[in-house]
Amino acid sequence: KSMESDGEEEAAAATPGTAGAAPAAGRLKGCPELSVEGDMREMAKTAAWSVSSCKPGNGVASLRDDSLDTYWQSDGAQPHLVNIQFQKKVQLQLVVLYVDFKLDESYTPSKISIRAGDGFHNLKEIKTVDLLKPVGWVHISLSGTDPRETFIHTFMLQIAVLANHLNGRDTHVRQIKIYGPRPNPVPHQPFHFTSRECIMYSTIR
Amino acid sequence: MNLLREAEETLCPVNEPNVEVPSGATGHYLLGLIYRYTGRVAAAAEQFTQALTLDPLLWAAYEELCILGVAEDANECFTEATALRLQQEQTSTSNLEKSNFVNENRVLSPNVSASLVDISPKHIKQLPANNTAEVPGYPHLRATALHVQNTVPSNVGQFDSPSPTVTQTSGIVPPPLFRNLHAYQNTTSGDAPAKPKVNAVNQPPRRKYLDEARLKKVTGRLFNPSGDSVPRRSARLSRDTPINSNSNISQFGGNGSDHSSGKLRVNSSTPSKLCSTAIRSVQVRKGKPRATENFDEGSRYEAVDEMWTDNIAATSSSLSIAEGRYFEQDKAERTLSQDSKMATGIKELLGLLRTLGEGYRLSCLFKCQEALEIYRKLPEPQFNTGWVLCQVGKAYFELVDYLEADHFFEFAHRLSPCTLEGMDIYSTVLYHLNEEMRLSYLAQELISVDRLSPQAWCAVGNCFALRKDHETALKNFQRAVQLDSRVAYAHTLCGHEYSALEDYENSVKFYRCALQVDERHYNAWYGLGVVYLRQEKFEFAEHHFRRAFQINPRSSVLMCYLGMALHALKRDEDALEMMEKAIFSDKKNPLPKYQKALILVGLQKYQEALDELERLREIAPHESSMYALMGKIYKQLNILDKAVFCFGVALDLKPPAADLAIIKSAMEKVHLPDELMEDDDL
Repeated sequence: KSMESDGEEEAAAATPGTAGAAPAAGRLKGCPELSVEGDMREMAKTAAWSVSSCKPGNGVASLRDDSLDTYWQSDGAQPHLVNIQFQKKVQLQLVVLYVDFKLDESYTPSKISIRAGDGFHNLKEIKTVDLLKPVGWVHISLSGTDPRETFIHTFMLQIAVLANHLNGRDTHVRQIKIYGPRPNPVPHQPFHFTSRECIMYSTIR
Repeated sequence: MNLLREAEETLCPVNEPNVEVPSGATGHYLLGLIYRYTGRVAAAAEQFTQALTLDPLLWAAYEELCILGVAEDANECFTEATALRLQQEQTSTSNLEKSNFVNENRVLSPNVSASLVDISPKHIKQLPANNTAEVPGYPHLRATALHVQNTVPSNVGQFDSPSPTVTQTSGIVPPPLFRNLHAYQNTTSGDAPAKPKVNAVNQPPRRKYLDEARLKKVTGRLFNPSGDSVPRRSARLSRDTPINSNSNISQFGGNGSDHSSGKLRVNSSTPSKLCSTAIRSVQVRKGKPRATENFDEGSRYEAVDEMWTDNIAATSSSLSIAEGRYFEQDKAERTLSQDSKMATGIKELLGLLRTLGEGYRLSCLFKCQEALEIYRKLPEPQFNTGWVLCQVGKAYFELVDYLEADHFFEFAHRLSPCTLEGMDIYSTVLYHLNEEMRLSYLAQELISVDRLSPQAWCAVGNCFALRKDHETALKNFQRAVQLDSRVAYAHTLCGHEYSALEDYENSVKFYRCALQVDERHYNAWYGLGVVYLRQEKFEFAEHHFRRAFQINPRSSVLMCYLGMALHALKRDEDALEMMEKAIFSDKKNPLPKYQKALILVGLQKYQEALDELERLREIAPHESSMYALMGKIYKQLNILDKAVFCFGVALDLKPPAADLAIIKSAMEKVHLPDELMEDDDL
């Protein structure tokens, strides 16, 4: 399944009443399933996660606990920020968030901005998305159109919730995952092996 | 129960350091195992050597020595001198009362189970549970066996008679034959320790794992003429004895109805437990009517009665087989003396042990080519047995010849589908060959054979690992570890998965666990090396790869990785030398060629690098990374059209997204001067 599989990022306006059709361009609706291509893997297990504010008991840990029942709840002024700082420069291509309008209503984010950079001092926005009553996993690709722009190389990623549905102040996000390419099984090799003959000999198990 | 300390206490009381270790050879063997599990390798080796001296047929002790890497040449251990000694021991045993046979019925079962239990390391746990009195029983085991044999009436000399005659002789088991069987069984069973000897008749009945009811069940099954047991025996026998067992099987099987109580007596009186082979022939707990190659450690008590059954069956069938063999040789000759038969038997036995022992020793030292040569010397029926084929497969695996390894493992698995030993390596071979379907099929089969065996779960884990589902793979490997924490490979596989998940702390922990179990487990040394390489701790990496290389000096992949560590340490000359070695030792391995080219590029020796890549192209013509590197070199040499061409080919060969980005970017920038190339492009 493609990265944009939560499907309704259609450019053309759809006819009203069509199930699942997005009324406008770029409005993500969320997918019940997390679908990520096999050649990607979750990148942020060893990263440092922090949030701009949180309610006690609904802190940053809830974003990474693999439970869709727990959520992060912000507690302050917008924008609400989730900061992810990696130990070294990494290649990233996909951000996936789990949000649920049915459960969270006015706490559900409606506008998200993704920024990247070396640190807090030089973050630049790389992507903005609008969400419309999303329920489920929202896949946000960080790639450009050109294959050369599949990945961003960065030390830090910041996910900013700029606005919520129904003008809610605080936000709920239940889970966030960050994806990038798999490392080369042969360390320090610039290219991956593609052929069976090479892969067979490339490691000892 | 893992009460190693108590076990040690029992065998070797601290307050009496000069007391002779009870149970003689087996006692030493057990003590050796205890020392090994608690990390006292030198002491373990000493104990095993002692055990072997006391009982040269204690295969398990020799096996352990091999695993520790300190075994002597098999020719030394299984010599003519020992042959004579064994012979003498046999003839000097006194006769037992015939009435003992009956006792043996009862006694045997618990003893069998006891001895069987004894065999597997896990069963050491049970030792402490027993009173000390039981342990001393073991030294008498072998003697007892001999006693039993010798008490048999004079018909003994007729061991060369075919099965029908056996019944006539009311179950006389010729000592030499019996010995042979015992020995054969022991040796071919390689994996399981040879637990010789039935408990001496004089021993009080031990824990009654088997009660009388089971005994009856056993005998019932034993004489099941339906051939249910026959396939077991036949498979085992063909493995055990170097004769064509087919005719014999039918002989035996056909005698179902002839098997009188005399036969039963024979069976029960034969201390067959010796046979790990007999154990081998233990049917899978689930009652599959197929010979099991291995003593399924996971099926302890449950299987014990079955094993016992099979032991009995096995022994008797083995006997008949062996008998049949001589029968074939000389039907009329019924008056050969016991002694000369014994001598022949012992000689042959030792000859077999020598071959298998030498082969095993060499393969533990990773002198795989030599080991293979030795195994090939075995006669075909011996060669075509599960254990030997697995060893051969393993040897090819260590030589990084996965296709051959696959061939042999597959054959082994087909011959004895219930063998679990070695199947974890087989699953790795299939992993390397990217045979997803066959691997998942194997995993399912193994799980259905025994859900509690670590090897089966290793295979399942390898399935998931092949699909890159590292988390599930990890769970399965952890399960394997739980089932038996003394299987080093399970720990190593956990380590690999943690490494793939980039959880280096845990991966190091598991690799270290593996090394605690088996210091010569080079895969774990390698795994640690890779972790340190990734963490850029290059000196640690080099150290660990070198340790791995010292243990297995034939693996071209190890040589290559050692070279990579040297290159990272900027010792390029040494690195290149290592790569040359790797290339030389296995011409089919593309990795060292590629790595050598990388090093040469780093040294700006572009033309040599290209030459190397051309040689690589011969064995891996459709390798994207090779063309990508060539493109980069041509760019450096300013041969721009070739550079573009190579990048184009590289792209066509469908590299992963990360490489795609790099190569495309490089292609676009071919015509730009170098200064504008970003560092992380190539």
